[in-house]
Amino acid sequence: MVEPLGGSAGDIYSFAVYRFFWVALAIFVFGSVYRLSKLVLRWRRVVKAEPRRRGAGAAIVGLIRTFLDPIIFSIKTKPYDFLAGMVALHLLGVIPLIFLLAHHVVFFAYWFPPYRLIAEKGIWIPLSMTTSTLEITSPIYPASTHFTETIWGPLVVILNGDLLALLAILGVTFKLGVKVMEQAHGLQHVRWSDYFSLGLLLFILVTGYAAARHHPLTDSTTLDVAQYRTLLGLHILGAEILLAITPFSKFWHFVFGYWYGKLHEWYDVRLQKGLV
Amino acid sequence: MMATQLPPKVLEAIKEGLSKVDWEGFDKSKVDALIAEILGKVDAVQLHYLENCVGCAACAPACPYYVVGEEYGPVEKAEHARHMYRKEATILGKLLGPLLNAKKPSKAEHLDMLVELVYRCTNCGACYVNCPFGIDSGALIKGLLAPLVSRAGRIPVLMAVFEAAERKRVFMDIPALRQIWQDVMAKAEQALGKPLPYDKEGADYYLMVNLADAMFYPGAVIGAMRILDKAGVNWTLPKEPLAFRPPIGAVVGFGDSAREVMSFVNESIEKLRPKNVVVLDGGFVYPWMRFQLPKVLGRRPSYKVLHITELVVQLLREGRIKLRRTDDPVTWHDPCQLGRRAGVTKEPVEALRAASSGFRLLPHHGAESYCCGGGGGIGCLSMQMIEMMAKLMGVDSSMLLSGEKEKEFILKTQEAWSIAVKRKIDDVKKSGAKTVVTACPVCMHSIEGGAKLYGLDIKVVHFAEYIAERLE
Ligand code: HEM
Ligand code: HEM
Ligand code: SF4
Ligand code: SF4
Repeated sequence: MVEPLGGSAGDIYSFAVYRFFWVALAIFVFGSVYRLSKLVLRWRRVVKAEPRRRGAGAAIVGLIRTFLDPIIFSIKTKPYDFLAGMVALHLLGVIPLIFLLAHHVVFFAYWFPPYRLIAEKGIWIPLSMTTSTLEITSPIYPASTHFTETIWGPLVVILNGDLLALLAILGVTFKLGVKVMEQAHGLQHVRWSDYFSLGLLLFILVTGYAAARHHPLTDSTTLDVAQYRTLLGLHILGAEILLAITPFSKFWHFVFGYWYGKLHEWYDVRLQKGLV
Repeated sequence: MMATQLPPKVLEAIKEGLSKVDWEGFDKSKVDALIAEILGKVDAVQLHYLENCVGCAACAPACPYYVVGEEYGPVEKAEHARHMYRKEATILGKLLGPLLNAKKPSKAEHLDMLVELVYRCTNCGACYVNCPFGIDSGALIKGLLAPLVSRAGRIPVLMAVFEAAERKRVFMDIPALRQIWQDVMAKAEQALGKPLPYDKEGADYYLMVNLADAMFYPGAVIGAMRILDKAGVNWTLPKEPLAFRPPIGAVVGFGDSAREVMSFVNESIEKLRPKNVVVLDGGFVYPWMRFQLPKVLGRRPSYKVLHITELVVQLLREGRIKLRRTDDPVTWHDPCQLGRRAGVTKEPVEALRAASSGFRLLPHHGAESYCCGGGGGIGCLSMQMIEMMAKLMGVDSSMLLSGEKEKEFILKTQEAWSIAVKRKIDDVKKSGAKTVVTACPVCMHSIEGGAKLYGLDIKVVHFAEYIAERLE
């Protein structure tokens, strides 16, 4: 059977884009409902003590400190973990990559049209170093860089898929190394699923990076179209598996765990107990 | 050898306490039943603590016991609760077991390891506010693991005995303890120069004095009375202490005992219809009175709960008391239960600033305050404490130990504490203070002991005593 954009249903790419996406999405939705209802079912109504009222100013400062204190603490006590985990893996890694990479924006807008906004507002970031350098150096406007028009200006020298991908890969590799070290020390909190989660992330990053090496200016023999489709297919399939396991894994943190955890702590420690 | 002069009621309580202790055995079906019961009661917030940890170990350096060994980091300890949770309450954990790190204790050594971890946590809450996800590892260690190990028999005899003595209200039948109470009250009467206003109805302030207050800081008990007297307010106090240190049951994870003791304490206080209850103890007693009690009762109590530091600030602001200001190099140590766990960090500082121009904050204070390492029952786990208590009770110290295994555990815990306390002592040293004011008997004991151990020449004083000495 020939699918739109060519290829056949047996091909990984088509399977990932036209079939498995919906399966992954369904598992994600089901899993999210499951996780949330578990929480709701365990909800107990208790009589709370009278809160210690310290005023709106203290509540706002408390909110900021609730989010900021762990970051400051981490910079002070574990600077390398912070650089690898927070800066490379997150801030200059998966967060801008996943949500802002131009190629992702195009795909996401295909599945979810309102996502076009990211493109229309120019918040997206370009794929490669060269296109982003051209963005700044090209004397001809709009040149061939029109597609990567972004609001980031010269910042695209950093904010481009290639560099961020490398940083994210470094961050994940560091994290994997830490897990191996910790386990060698006999520590209990390392879970087998950690290797799976981090391994999957690494797989997605590496296949994405490899798929992106098909730049038209490079020799077309380095990557033929079939190989490209396979790599990109694996990349998207990996990402869909990540989406599917999100409600059942540590990836749940960016959907829910982080936000619930911090807001609950704010309510409990700052609003109820009144810690300043 | 059991001392003969102890009344039968007391002997019975001791016997009951001892009957819960078992440092050798392992009863698989009992342990499984306990796990099912404890995990069955997990609420939404505890579920978040169990399920949303990503294992980043960012919390590790916050813990006073992390410096003793990396196996004592918060997530390391709490992870054992997760092992059981996955096995007991998740579908995949049941199916895949070890592959998902889902397992339950299966032999005596596992309980021995767990009890060690429970007494490497002071429930200080430092991991809670430093976890990027707001996960309270202490709440899992003390809330889930402690009840498990205690009820499975791994409970220090001293704690089992005092828990029973408090719940059965026989602690005042131990002659030496009654004597301590009477001596302190006699001294207080002398200091005030008038009879004490015991059990007055409808007073504005009810000074909650527990036996532990009178034992560990008599000067603060008397000091608080002098403050109330000087302020000229309508106050009262109990003729006999309502509890030893309520609720001791909470320290070992006996929830039912804690609720029973708290209900009794509340009932006795409400009978007198005071407007405010003033708590001296800045250890777990304060957060229990202030924040846990409504949960126990299912309603808010009929009075407000104040810590003595809050009261003093109130009286100072109202101009009801005045202080002679000195230039004493003094600092404030935040007891974790009063500060991080109950939000009282500004009041003591305000009062101490008014008392001395030499007041200085510790480098780590307030939300970032370093724990002294003695909380969560750890401070009671020393041979000196056991000998002192045995002497007071008039029994042989071997009675307060179940055997060699428990003794080894206590010695190891004491050793761990001596390492954990150093971080606090160094912080005090950096501040240059000569007097450390605080408000928790365990912090006082721990900081005094630590200072001696690391050669720091300081005085440790309870807040109420320090302020009373400076009353104008
Ligand atoms: C907006 C969202 C996000 C926030 C606020 C957030 C926050 C955090 C924090 C605070 C940590 C723990 C500290 C650390 O290990 O660096 C963490 C860990 C982690 N995050 Fe995120 N994150 C977000 C999005 C993501 C995304 C989109 C991914 C990947 C798809 C991701 C993957 C991870 C992984 C794999 C870890 C665990 C590292 C380990 O195993 O130790 N995060 N996240
Ligand atoms: C369903 C979701 C996803 C789709 C459809 C998708 C699609 C794509 C596409 C089309 C490219 C460009 C390949 C090319 O140049 O031809 C790409 C690159 C990339 N993607 Fe994804 N992706 C998805 C999810 C993710 C996720 C979750 C991550 C990271 C955690 C990720 C990381 C990357 C990286 C690192 C690159 C390469 C960037 C570069 O080297 O410049 N993608 N992806
Ligand atoms: S408790 Fe928090 S800081 Fe500690 S490992 Fe878990 S997520 Fe990380
Ligand atoms: S509550 Fe305190 S002592 Fe317990 S694990 Fe957390 S940081 Fe360590």
